[in-house]
Amino acid sequence: MSTPMKQAIVLAVGGLVICLVILRLGRRRLLTTRYTLGWLGLGAFVGLAAIALPFVSSVGTFAGMTPTAVLLVFSSLVLLAISVQLSISVSLLQERLRTTAEAHALLARRVADMEQQAR
Amino acid sequence: VSARPLVVIPAFNEIDCIADVIAEVRGAGYDCVVVNDASTDDTAVVAARLGVPVIDLPIQLGVGGALRAGFRYAVNHGYDRVVQVDADGQHPAEHIDALLRAVDELDADLVIGSRFAEGGDYSMSNTRRAAVGLLRRVAARSGAQVTDPTSGFRVIRAPLLTAFAVDFPHHYLGDTFEALLVAARRDYRVREIPLTMRPRMGGTPSADALALVKAMIRALTITFTGCSFDVPPRPPT
Repeated sequence: MSTPMKQAIVLAVGGLVICLVILRLGRRRLLTTRYTLGWLGLGAFVGLAAIALPFVSSVGTFAGMTPTAVLLVFSSLVLLAISVQLSISVSLLQERLRTTAEAHALLARRVADMEQQAR
Repeated sequence: VSARPLVVIPAFNEIDCIADVIAEVRGAGYDCVVVNDASTDDTAVVAARLGVPVIDLPIQLGVGGALRAGFRYAVNHGYDRVVQVDADGQHPAEHIDALLRAVDELDADLVIGSRFAEGGDYSMSNTRRAAVGLLRRVAARSGAQVTDPTSGFRVIRAPLLTAFAVDFPHHYLGDTFEALLVAARRDYRVREIPLTMRPRMGGTPSADALALVKAMIRALTITFTGCSFDVPPRPPT
């Protein structure tokens, strides 16, 4: 079996495994629909990369890189983009959590004051 | 609007000193609120037993987070100025009056009690002193001519207080250095007066050397990149 064919099989199997794992996590409610869809898209993309391997080879020839290196660079960029997006989400959540905690504490204080006045 | 200021005391595991600090502040005749930053000891219980309002944060938000909750409490209750006082006893309540007078006399939005200005007296390690010196130079570039940019003993007056109640950094040095930097950049009047402070009366500092280094990196990054919280420009008087 030729090397590009082996790579295509690895990519297709990898994409399938990603999709199956994500589906399982989504069904167990460990991932929200938003992230389930996002990661499923990524899994499908990895699987479809198997078909696009000839194109990858031509990009590699143009850039002076092996097809494997092209895939590595491309997947690193995708992972970087996902990390940045997740960092944004975490930062927003952190601020919301902080605001909620403050609001909770201030409300608790207000309730305590009202209870004290009612006595 | 109440003419009386509110003393906000953020506290994290300060059971050794909180009672003395509260007694001192109340003895000086000021309203105060303790913001318990999810202490694991009985800081909140002791404070509540003394009859002061306690805002009990359910999760630890850091000193800036605790202060913002205190600012919101102050704004909601009609106070127009807040005095920040540490719960470790470093800030003598007898100086609160001087800080408040300085707000009016200097027509300032933010007055810092400086440990290093003429008349101030405070001992600290050479490393910490060098770090403060660096931050002082950085603050000066932004228009804040202060000798002690990391002092937490300060008074904030509305409208800056209202702005800080909306947005305020929660990380170490954010509540001190970054806050004054942003205030100065937005044309709020930042002034300082010399004050003597004490060593902490008990407990352990929440920030170690590593935290200081991380905070310094963050503070300098904020300064040179502009990635900071923000407040509205000072309204014209």
